[in-house]
Amino acid sequence: MSWDITGLGAIASIGSGPEEIFAALCDGQDGLGTLRAFDLSCYRAHHAYEIDDRAQPGRDEPFRATRWLRTAITQALRDAGLDGGPSRYPMLVGTTMREQRSVELWWRDGVPLGSADLHFGPALRAQFGTPQTYTFANACAATLYTLGMAADLIELDLADTVVVAGTDAITESAFGTLDRVQNDIPDALRPFDNGRRGMLMGEGAVAVVLQRRGMGSVPACARVRAVSMNCDAAHPTAPAPPTISWAIRDAHRRAGLSPADIDVVMLHGSGTRLNDVAEATALAGVFTDAGAAPLMTAIKSMTGHTLGGSGLLSLIMAVLSLQGGVVPPILGLTDPISEADGFQLVRDRPAHADLKTAQINAFGFGGINAVAILERAS
Amino acid sequence: MSGPAAVITGIGLALPDSVGDITDLFDTSAAERGLFDRETGLRGRSMRHKDRASRLALRAAESALHDAGLLDSDTFTGPADRTAVVVSSNLGNLDSVCSFVDIITRDTVTGLSPLGLPHTSSNAVAGWVAIHYGLRGPNLTLCNGPTSGLDALFWTRNLVAVRRSDVAVVIGAEPDTEPVARLLKQDNESAFDGAVAVVVESAEHAQHRGVRARGVLAGYARATDLSAAITAARQPDLRPVQLLTAETFTTRFGYCCGALGVLQCAAGATTLDRDDIDAVLATIGAADGAEAAAALLLTRAEVVA
Repeated sequence: MSWDITGLGAIASIGSGPEEIFAALCDGQDGLGTLRAFDLSCYRAHHAYEIDDRAQPGRDEPFRATRWLRTAITQALRDAGLDGGPSRYPMLVGTTMREQRSVELWWRDGVPLGSADLHFGPALRAQFGTPQTYTFANACAATLYTLGMAADLIELDLADTVVVAGTDAITESAFGTLDRVQNDIPDALRPFDNGRRGMLMGEGAVAVVLQRRGMGSVPACARVRAVSMNCDAAHPTAPAPPTISWAIRDAHRRAGLSPADIDVVMLHGSGTRLNDVAEATALAGVFTDAGAAPLMTAIKSMTGHTLGGSGLLSLIMAVLSLQGGVVPPILGLTDPISEADGFQLVRDRPAHADLKTAQINAFGFGGINAVAILERAS
Repeated sequence: MSGPAAVITGIGLALPDSVGDITDLFDTSAAERGLFDRETGLRGRSMRHKDRASRLALRAAESALHDAGLLDSDTFTGPADRTAVVVSSNLGNLDSVCSFVDIITRDTVTGLSPLGLPHTSSNAVAGWVAIHYGLRGPNLTLCNGPTSGLDALFWTRNLVAVRRSDVAVVIGAEPDTEPVARLLKQDNESAFDGAVAVVVESAEHAQHRGVRARGVLAGYARATDLSAAITAARQPDLRPVQLLTAETFTTRFGYCCGALGVLQCAAGATTLDRDDIDAVLATIGAADGAEAAAALLLTRAEVVA
């Protein structure tokens, strides 16, 4: 079975739509900046990839994650030709932190907040009309998990059209605890490079419209061939190569493909010591051992780690890569880690190739992993 | 709806003993196993470095897995690679988020404990349960407002129906913490402080193990109002049902929030197993204009089979 992607939407530090973000990636532009609204004296790390949209510079405001989510879904529905009238489609939202930034502003600064503001259903129903809204807090694998569950919904004949979306705004609690835990103080996110010093968060929201094959009112821009999902069940924050390998192999098996069939891999590539080694080890076991060397890139080098939405942001960029035959480079990659020996990591400039199939990786806290396989629509 | 049916094979509770007699809702052994002392009941080596929601959830999960015959001592004996963890919690990690912000404001990040990192993400509970029992199947966390527990059971049924999982432990957990109390006080609600778990299996897996199915997850809907949800959840099977409304639980336990739907499912399975009833319908009305309503139909196992 396969599923059509008929609409795309995205907002991130480097652009306010999928094409704009993709163009920035290909140009090697990042969204890195000094923290815009947190008190710098409280943190060791001072950088992030934030969306610069606060009404008053330097003063934080609640519900930015919800605002971006509405924007991304609106874009995706319009792209799919579904923006006239109320949208009664199920909407599955993947997130790491929900509206926890608004909770922080409520708790400490007295900004108004109700319990209905913690999840995204009420806001989506108010804007789009659907009561079938689901907020999944599935850490940084959230949006590929929700993509898989949306595909399941169609396979089970419970829907023909599903909106899959995600959003996250940076919280002080998560940024601060990560800052406390990382030994080094990163000033940029540098995936798969020996000079990497850790993860830095980014902000963004994403959405795709997923439809039963041939049911869309516009041509598919790509097809989902498979989504796998599992859990390391080993450590709350450190990834485990064996279960990551298993998730990759399971995605290939579900798609009926072998490692040599994959043309490009969108890495999770979060730039932490542990992730990049674990991810490279798992990929080497699947691809290098099978004599396959797909192109690989890691967009977090320019968007930062956009958390729950990051998997789907990688997937949306993969759609545009498949369409244009272009893969953006990994910004700042000069000295690849030894675990990635033999990988075709794209660096310095975009790579051009005839691309049919893409693999997208996303891993999250709680040891959860999801891997999606996409194919070009035509 | 195609694929194997999803049936309930285990129930576990973790409720403060102040709730009193609950044997009208749950069978005696579940009630006996499920009550804990609020001050001393959540201690022990496996509880260390975990937030209150996770400790409540681990206690309920243990009880449900034991009830389903899937534990040998504390070791999971089922198919670990094909066992999912599905958690419903709306308020679970608010205590971590709020206390970390207080610490950062007062002491900078150097005052934080590195051990708090997992709890900054809203899925910490599901991660801890998976780690404790080595459950490597899909791992989901629903934070979906008042209907979240019923929604979690719907997604569990889907995982079983598409054969992503043969077994799932579904947990609803909500802790009574300082931020939760403050948030709910705005609505004149008091916080629940407990967890409930059900073990869901594919009918064929339960049959293969030779365990009794206590109910089938037979229908579900989420809609703008309750009557629409009820009609859709009962389609196409319109036999009489016994209603299990949200109020049955909230009048006893307070605002159960994300735990509510799982509590209803556990009580519904108990009712089907105990009384001469063919179907139970768990309902959660739209709390206000902004939220949605949901209904979950549970049927007696042999009726479907």
